[in-house]
Amino acid sequence: MGALLFYILATVMVVATVLAITGRHPVHAIVYLVTSFFALAGIFFLLLAPLVAMFEVIIYAGAVMVLFMFVIMMLDLGHPESGVRPGWRQWFPALVLSAVILVSLLLAAGSPATAPRTGGEGVKEFATLLYGRYGVAIEIISLQLLFAVVGALYLGRRR
Amino acid sequence: MRLLLELILFLPLCGAVLLALAGGRLPRRVVEAVACGTVWGSFAATLGAATLFASPAKVEIVNWLTDFEFAAPVTLYLDPLSLVIALMVTFVCGLIHLHAVAYMAGDPGYVRFFALLNLFVAAMLLLVLAENLPLLYMGWEGVGFCSYGLIGFWYREEKNATAARKAFIVTRIGDVALGIAIVWLYELFSTTSLTGINETVFLMPLMVITPIGILLLVGAMGKSAQLPLMVWLPDAMAGPTPVSALIHAATMVTAGVYLLIRLFPLVSVSPTVMAAIAVTGGASAFYGASCAVAQRDLKRVLAYSTISQIGFMMLGVGAGALAAATFHLIVHAFFKALLFLGAGCIITALHHEQDIYRMGGISRSLPAVSRLFLAGALCLAGFPLTGGFFSKDAILAAVWGRGGMLYLLLFLLGLATAFLTAYYTFRMVRLVCGGEGPAPQPLTPLMTGPLVPLAILGLGGGLLNIPHYLGEGLLGRVLASGGVRVEHAATATELALQAVAALTAVGGISLACHRYADSRRPLRIAEGAQPAGGLTAFLLHGWYADRLYARIFVEPFTGTARFLWQRVDAGLIDGGVDRLAELLGRCGSWLGRWSSGRVSTYLIYLAVGAVLLLGWLAGSAAGRGGW
Amino acid sequence: MIVPLAHILILAAVIFSLGLVCVLVWRSNVIMLLIGIEIMLNAAMLVFVGGSARWGAPDGQVFALMIMAMTSAEVSLALALVVYLHRRRRTVDVDAFRELRDP
Repeated sequence: MGALLFYILATVMVVATVLAITGRHPVHAIVYLVTSFFALAGIFFLLLAPLVAMFEVIIYAGAVMVLFMFVIMMLDLGHPESGVRPGWRQWFPALVLSAVILVSLLLAAGSPATAPRTGGEGVKEFATLLYGRYGVAIEIISLQLLFAVVGALYLGRRR
Repeated sequence: MRLLLELILFLPLCGAVLLALAGGRLPRRVVEAVACGTVWGSFAATLGAATLFASPAKVEIVNWLTDFEFAAPVTLYLDPLSLVIALMVTFVCGLIHLHAVAYMAGDPGYVRFFALLNLFVAAMLLLVLAENLPLLYMGWEGVGFCSYGLIGFWYREEKNATAARKAFIVTRIGDVALGIAIVWLYELFSTTSLTGINETVFLMPLMVITPIGILLLVGAMGKSAQLPLMVWLPDAMAGPTPVSALIHAATMVTAGVYLLIRLFPLVSVSPTVMAAIAVTGGASAFYGASCAVAQRDLKRVLAYSTISQIGFMMLGVGAGALAAATFHLIVHAFFKALLFLGAGCIITALHHEQDIYRMGGISRSLPAVSRLFLAGALCLAGFPLTGGFFSKDAILAAVWGRGGMLYLLLFLLGLATAFLTAYYTFRMVRLVCGGEGPAPQPLTPLMTGPLVPLAILGLGGGLLNIPHYLGEGLLGRVLASGGVRVEHAATATELALQAVAALTAVGGISLACHRYADSRRPLRIAEGAQPAGGLTAFLLHGWYADRLYARIFVEPFTGTARFLWQRVDAGLIDGGVDRLAELLGRCGSWLGRWSSGRVSTYLIYLAVGAVLLLGWLAGSAAGRGGW
Repeated sequence: MIVPLAHILILAAVIFSLGLVCVLVWRSNVIMLLIGIEIMLNAAMLVFVGGSARWGAPDGQVFALMIMAMTSAEVSLALALVVYLHRRRRTVDVDAFRELRDP
């Protein structure tokens, strides 16, 4: 059951991402991407990481994408007719490169995998680890967020 | 005693600091009062120390520079020698400060002048009173710095600034030698204390003492303008006349002699060093006197005579006659300061005319100054019964008493010098005072006043150290109490030597008076108007020492520098670097074609790199058969 | 583990490649370029979480969280830059900004 769900979600995710990057309208791209992220959240849940799944929904699908939406609205970019669509010259190298990546990863991932092990890690262990061993990292990340806020304020101020 | 010593040293220092920091905001009278007051206060403290003086005193004021075994605290040492010199320094400085107040009356830079002058007094007293060598060196450099600042006091003229630099650089040669000697002494004795070194010197081998003594002599040569480092002193006359009187006649230039006297127990160990000192002194004395004969500038005559007289002091030290050398040092300070101040008065009165051939008539127009100047000249010439006569004679007697071929030759050289001294002194006096001259401008009493005590001390200086057959000399007794050896020749010999010296001096004076008598004056002035040639030119240019040094040192130096600059630096190094830079620049512009400035292009490069890396990793993983 | 790790990695590789394609293709719109970066970061997160599930260690989840925090910081700054650049040039075309090259 879980495996089936995983493959469905994976399919949804790939399709949504493909639609997102090929769409001509940025707002549509954002909506497809939100879909893709929801699917990813489901995969995270299946992979016994409920907390990360929730954060994925809240932060990515919620905050970050909405931020993108804000900027698109603010800069009035919702007119794909006036925008320049990527041509063949752009698509070709990108597709070649991604094909190389895919092939090499398939090669690597196709090797025999060790027996999967099931086991759940509760939120409690996760939290203990996060604020225990990685406490310093949390501090640094929070500082980085602060800097980002200050930087964004500085860049965004009207001159 | 401690308080007095501190006052001696710190009064002028405080004066200097006060003037340097706040002098510009004080009224002129206050500046002058501070400058003179601190020096006279220092003199009073020295006088107090002299009355209280019982035995050599060592006072540590501040602990400064201490590190494991090395210690150079600010320790002052008052023994008869330093006491006598300090008395002389403060007294002469005080008088010259008073004179300078009048001399600098019209100069806007008086604050800087008095600050440097006060700083000079402080540094000189530090040099005299220092108990250890680093402290002495500090004073030594301090007076050198002040001398530099004051020679170039009117620095807006290129000539003066050059003279200042020359004095600084030439004395630096001696200072380096002295610095090496100090380090070497510390390395040998593990102490820098003067008394400590003098007490334990007998432990050291002769072969080490000799080079140290020579180094000390080189240091003294630089400071005291002795052969061959004498070239700076005549040019140093570019400074204001009170400075010439104070620094380049009375006090600083005798520091070298003082150093050698101070370390006499050390240098006297080696006969080689003693002979070197004596030869240096004798040669310098003769050199200075011979050059002074041909000089035209009043101050340069006196400058060369200073070289000559300090040569006499060195000769005295080299002959082991410390009392005589000290005696001459002090008397010389009085009469040379007198002569310089007199020269300053005359030059001021004659509207800054320094050429003695264009002077004249001073004896009629400024009788007081001319009489004082004459008194100084008599002392310098060694006219019998003046201070200069006794001191010079004491040195010559010591050289005679030393015996041996070398010292006999030096004695004869000394006699010849004495003759020349008498001759050039009275040539100068006759040219300046005799005949007719331009009308002088009036002088203030403050300007001429300080000359009177100097004249009295110069003329009566003999009383300070009367010959021993008339009773023990005051100075000799004082110095003997401080452990300085005082030797006497037999009375008959001494009388005979004095008679010879007196005859020499009188002979020189009468020859000069004969040649430069008023009746022959126009002839001499006409001679002087001709361009100097032959021997006269040779003597006028100080034996061409400057040109010789330029040929030997300066020109090869500039030549090498030019070679290094134009060929090696500009040609080889710069050229090589230029060519390399050109190559790199060409490579860079070729590679630069790859950077279009578009972010998207860079992104593609990034992606290609990452993909290649990833492909290689995956390939190697697959080759190994999995993770 | 519901599926082999290999499948998770394949999915991540596909998503990553799609993100890379997005970044390389959309040079005419900087917003899409940033979206491509987001997609690639998500692929990386998927690898972390998959590894965490595979080896039963929550460290991978912690790093996924870190990536999220970092992404939000990055996005806020990047979008502020976009606004700033758009204000200057009235365009979001990446190739319009060529100040990296010497004039």
